Amino acid sequence: MIVTNTETVAGYQIAEIKGLVQGNTVRAKHAGRDIAASFKNLVGGELKGYTELLTESRRQAMERMMAQAEQLGANAVVNVRFTTSAVTAGAAELYAYGTAVVVQSRA
Amino acid sequence: MFELLFVLFLLILGWSAGSLAERRHFAQLAEREKNNGAFLITQLKSFPASTESDLTPKLLVAETVVATDYFKSFLAGLRRLFGGEVRSFHSLLSRARRESTQRVVEQARELGYNAICNLRIETADVGGSSASNKKAAMVAIIASATAYQYQTPSA
Repeated sequence: MIVTNTETVAGYQIAEIKGLVQGNTVRAKHAGRDIAASFKNLVGGELKGYTELLTESRRQAMERMMAQAEQLGANAVVNVRFTTSAVTAGAAELYAYGTAVVVQSRA
Repeated sequence: MFELLFVLFLLILGWSAGSLAERRHFAQLAEREKNNGAFLITQLKSFPASTESDLTPKLLVAETVVATDYFKSFLAGLRRLFGGEVRSFHSLLSRARRESTQRVVEQARELGYNAICNLRIETADVGGSSASNKKAAMVAIIASATAYQYQTPSA
């Protein structure tokens, strides 16, 4: 499946629009990571645990979005956007949405 | 008295370790940006030039979470009394942004692309800092872009 965050896919033309598809996930960080993070807040630097957490949840949200697109019979998702929101302290929602389309190669 | 010494210790620790880590990170970022200098980054909605190639355009995403140090949080706390620009958090945001962008570029290069377009940089909320420690600041940045391979006019 082709996934892009542009409105079109270069080299392809959009044959059919299937509609909006979306995927979301809410993940909590566990206490161990929180403790490690509070130490990091003394000395500064990248919080690798939180970065991983975000990467994981983004992957899952995208997978859910792609599964929806597949169900609609699409072979590409264009104009994908991500948003996040904090549900409670310690949990974050990641939401991915895009437009499912059927594309054909121009050649 | 002991508490005061402890805070002083944390301030010195934050200042020394924090500024060292930051200088290293900026040096590393500058190096990587130089290496990737020939790589085209645009935030145009679609790619303007010819993109005839076997590689299908692909969405790439990278995220970075960076925490500030104790010294900088302290400076920011002082700043809140007087108002004005909080310079100590300025570098925090730019570190996270540049790191995310470079990660996207490096992913794209590894896959054989030579340009990214529609680069979007977004600040994420990871649930804020733990409620017990309100002083701690951290920032999460998600960068996303579509990677393309295009023909350079000369090639």
